[in-house]
Amino acid sequence: MAKTYDCLFKLLLIGDSGVGKTSILFRFSEDAFNISFISTIGIDFKIRTIDLDGKKVKLQIWDTAGQERFRTITTAYYRGSMGIMLVYDVTNEKSFENIKNWIRNIEENASADVEKMILGNKCDLDAKRQVSKERGEQLAVEYQIKFVETSAKDSLNVEYAFYTLARDIKAKMEKKQEASNPPGGRSGAHQLKANEQQRKPTSWLSRCSVL
Amino acid sequence: MSSSSVEEIPEMCKDLFTQDGVLLKMSNGRPNNDPNAVGMLCLVENPNGTKSIEWRPNDLITIDSDTQDQEWAVVNTIGRRQRTLSGNMTSDYASARARIIRIPLEELKFFRSSRDNIQIQFSSKQGVWQHTFHCQHGNAEAFIANLRNHVITAKTRRNRNTYMVVETNAEAQVLNKSFAELDIFSENTTDVVWNLVSNFTERPYATTMEAFSKLTDIVYYGNEVTHERRHREQPTPEDISDLTNALDENRIETRKSDEYEVVTIESILPPRPHIHRNSPLSTEKWDGLRDSEGRITEVDGVKQLIFRGGIAHTIRGVVWKYLLDYYPWNITYSGIKNLTKKKTQEYYSMKLQWRSMTAGQESRFSEYRDRKSLVEKDVNRTDRTHPFFAGDNNHNLVVLQDILMTYVMYNFDLGYVQGMSDILAPLLMLLVNEVDTFWCFVGFMEKISTNFDMDQAGMKQQLVNLQQLLTFTCPELAKHLDSKDSGNMYFCFRWLLVWFKREFSYPDIMRLWEVLWTGLPCRNFHLLICVAILDDQKDLLISKDYGFTEILKHVNELSMCLDIDRILSTAEGIYHQTISAPHLSDNIRLILGIPTVSRPDGEYPEPEQNTEAQNGTQTDGNVKSDEADLEEVMYQIGLDMNF
Ligand SMILES: Nc1nc2c(ncn2[C@@H]2O[C@H](COP(=O)(O)OP(=O)(O)OP(=O)(O)O)[C@@H](O)[C@H]2O)c(=O)[nH]1
Ligand SMILES: [Mg+2]
Repeated sequence: MAKTYDCLFKLLLIGDSGVGKTSILFRFSEDAFNISFISTIGIDFKIRTIDLDGKKVKLQIWDTAGQERFRTITTAYYRGSMGIMLVYDVTNEKSFENIKNWIRNIEENASADVEKMILGNKCDLDAKRQVSKERGEQLAVEYQIKFVETSAKDSLNVEYAFYTLARDIKAKMEKKQEASNPPGGRSGAHQLKANEQQRKPTSWLSRCSVL
Repeated sequence: MSSSSVEEIPEMCKDLFTQDGVLLKMSNGRPNNDPNAVGMLCLVENPNGTKSIEWRPNDLITIDSDTQDQEWAVVNTIGRRQRTLSGNMTSDYASARARIIRIPLEELKFFRSSRDNIQIQFSSKQGVWQHTFHCQHGNAEAFIANLRNHVITAKTRRNRNTYMVVETNAEAQVLNKSFAELDIFSENTTDVVWNLVSNFTERPYATTMEAFSKLTDIVYYGNEVTHERRHREQPTPEDISDLTNALDENRIETRKSDEYEVVTIESILPPRPHIHRNSPLSTEKWDGLRDSEGRITEVDGVKQLIFRGGIAHTIRGVVWKYLLDYYPWNITYSGIKNLTKKKTQEYYSMKLQWRSMTAGQESRFSEYRDRKSLVEKDVNRTDRTHPFFAGDNNHNLVVLQDILMTYVMYNFDLGYVQGMSDILAPLLMLLVNEVDTFWCFVGFMEKISTNFDMDQAGMKQQLVNLQQLLTFTCPELAKHLDSKDSGNMYFCFRWLLVWFKREFSYPDIMRLWEVLWTGLPCRNFHLLICVAILDDQKDLLISKDYGFTEILKHVNELSMCLDIDRILSTAEGIYHQTISAPHLSDNIRLILGIPTVSRPDGEYPEPEQNTEAQNGTQTDGNVKSDEADLEEVMYQIGLDMNF
C-alpha cells in the first residue's frame, strides 16, 4: 500500500452525551450537518487528511459515546491518542461542569503528554445559552488548555479547532524530536507505515517523526 | 418536545441535510470555475411537508444569514431550468437567489454518484442528466445515503451507482403497506446471484457486499415471495448423510484427546448442516393453536415455529405480547381483558408520578433531572429518518418519551441508559398502543437488563463469552483478532447492547428479535448470531490482514448490509456443529446452557459468573443430552420443521 501521508495523528472527541461530538466530526470530515443524527453507541472513527505546513497529516478521529456508563469500554480507546477535544454544549450547564470530570478521566486513561482543547459547541443557539463564553475561557485558563466556541451546524470554528490541535501536536513532536536527535542526525528516524499497528507502551512520540 | 436541543429558527423551509462545498457544473459537464458556482447542496422540507433537493450558491448563504427569506416557496419552478452561468455574474441578493436550483423529490426519477464519489447527478427523466454537481470533498456518498432515506429506490441494472426512484417516502407510509406492486424485484434475484458469481473473481469483496445489499432489498420488498420459496425447500438426504459420515471420522480422530484447549485445527468441528428457514407463523396456524377460550397450550411448538420462520406481520403485535411475557401463554380471552385493565391502571399511575412532579420538585431532584434530560436528548435522535418518527411535532416521539420516562419510574435504579430508545422504537412502531408497548418493553428489558448494568459487567461477560465461542467455532479468526489486539471483541459492543438494532432494517430486526425471544435453540443464541456474522467476514478479515482500526471500521460498516435469513441459518448451523462436536467443553456448554459433563475430580471448575442470571433468554425443556448425537440433532430439526 502506498503511503499517502507523512504522519498519522490519533485524535479523540469526548464530552457528555448530546453535546455534539458526532456532529462536529461529521462537519469536519464531510463538511455537512444532519439534523436527524442518532446517538453514538460504542465507538467509531473518521479519517481526514489535512495539509500542515507542507506535510500531509492524516487525522484519525475517534468518536465515543458520551454516557458515563459506557466509559469502561470507551476509555480502552484512549490509548495512543495524541490529541483530545473536550466538548461541552453552551446551552447545557451540566455538560460544562462535567468538563472537569472528563479532564480527570483523561489524566487516568490517556498518556500524560496528550494535547487537549476545549470546545464550547452549539454557539449558534444564542437564545438558549447557559454558559457564557467568558466562563469557557476562564476554565481554559485554569487548566491551561486552548479553547474555542464552535457550531457544527453553522460550521463555525470546527476547521480551526482541528487544525489548531493538529498544529500543537506537530509542534510538540518537533520539539521532542529536536531534544532527542542531535541536529543533522535525522536519517535514522523511524518512518511511520500506513498499516502500522504496533501498540507499544512507549509514548506515541517515538512512533511518528516529522522530517 | 419543547426542550429539544436543536432550536430551529422559525422559517419557511427546514434543512434536513446540508452538504457544503458543492460546485454546480456547467451543462457541458465541465467544472464551473465561477466562484459563484460553489454552494451548498441541501435536502429541505417545505412547509407543506414535501421535500426538495436544493442547491444554493454560497453568496446567497452569506446574504441569507441576516435576511429572513420568506419567498423561497416561489422558486419551485426552477427545478427544470438548466443554467449556463457567465463569469461576470454579480452576486447581489436577487440574482443569487435566482440561481437556486430546486428539484422537488416528487419529480426526481434518477440519481447517481460517480465512482470516485465526486460527482452527483439528478434527473427527472430517463436518458438525460439534468443537474450535475461536484462535491469538492469527494463525499457524494454522504448526500446520496441521506437522500435514500427520503425516497424508495432501486438500483438500476446497468449501472450500480445509479438509483431509480420508485416512490417518495411519504410521511404516512407504514411498514405493512403492501409492496405487491414492487414485485419486479423478485425476478431480479437470479441476476443478482449471477452477477455475484461472475464478478466475484474480479472484485470479491465489493461484489459480495453489493449483492448482499441487493438481496436485503429483495427480502424487504418481496417478503412473501421469498418466504414461500424457502418453505418449499427441505434438507436433502445427502446433506444429512454427508454430515453424519464426516462426524464419524472426526470422532475417531479426536477421541484421543478431550482436552478442550486443543482447538487449533478447524476441521475438528463437524461440518455445518445447511439449515433451511421456514415461512412465518401464519394467522391461521396461530388461531388454530388456541383452544376455545384462547389459551395456547403447545407453547414449545409455537416457539419452534417462530424460531424456524418468525411471525407473519399481521399477527406480530399479538404474539409479541406472549413472547415478551406481557401475556402468560395460558391466558384466556377474558383473562386478557382483566389483565389489560389492571396493567393500564398500573401504567397510568406510574406515569402520573412523574407527570405530576412540579418544577420546584424537579429542581431539587437532580438524579431525576439527569435521567429526563438523557431521555429527551435520545428521543430526539431515535430513528428520525424512519417515517414513523420523522418530522417536527411528531406525536410518536411524545409517546416514546412518555414510555421511557414511565420506565424510569418503574425501575428508577436502572433509570434510562442510552440504547433503550433504540430497543423501544420498533416495539412502539409495531404495537402503537402506549400501554401495550410499555409492558412489552418491560419484558424485553427483563431479558437484556444486564446490558445496561452500571459497571457494564453483563456486557463484558458477554464479550468474553463471545470470544470463547469464536475460539471454539472459528479458531482461525479468533487467533487473527487476538493478534490484532481485538480479542476483547469491543467492536461487537453495539451489536450486543441493542441486540443488532443498528445493523438491520425494521422488518429484519423484527424478524431477528422474535426469533431470539423464543430462547431457542439454546441460551445465548444471540452470541451465535455474532459468530455467524463474523464467520461470514472471516476470509476477508484474515486475507486482508485487517488490523485493530480496520476491523472496527469494517464491522461498523456492515450495518444495513447483512442478510437476516442467511445469518439465522448460519447461526443455527454453527449451533449444531458446536453441540455435536466431540470435544465440546464444559465452558462452552455453560455458555449455551447445556448440562455439563460431571467430572468426579472437578478438573473443570465452574466459571466465575453465574451465566443463568446473565441472560434471560434461556428456556426450559430445551436441554440436549450430554452426548449430543448428530442423528438425534437432525431428527430434532426434522421434527421441528414438520411441526
Ligand atoms: N444548533 C445546534 N445543534 C447541534 C450542534 N451540534 C450538534 N447539534 C445537535 O445536538 C444533538 C446532539 O448531537 P450529537 O452530535 O449526536 O451529540 P454527541 O455528543 O455525539 O452525543 P452522544 O453520541 O450521545 O455522545 C443533535 O440533535 C444535533 O443535531 C450545533 O452546533 N448547533
Ligand atoms: Mg455521538
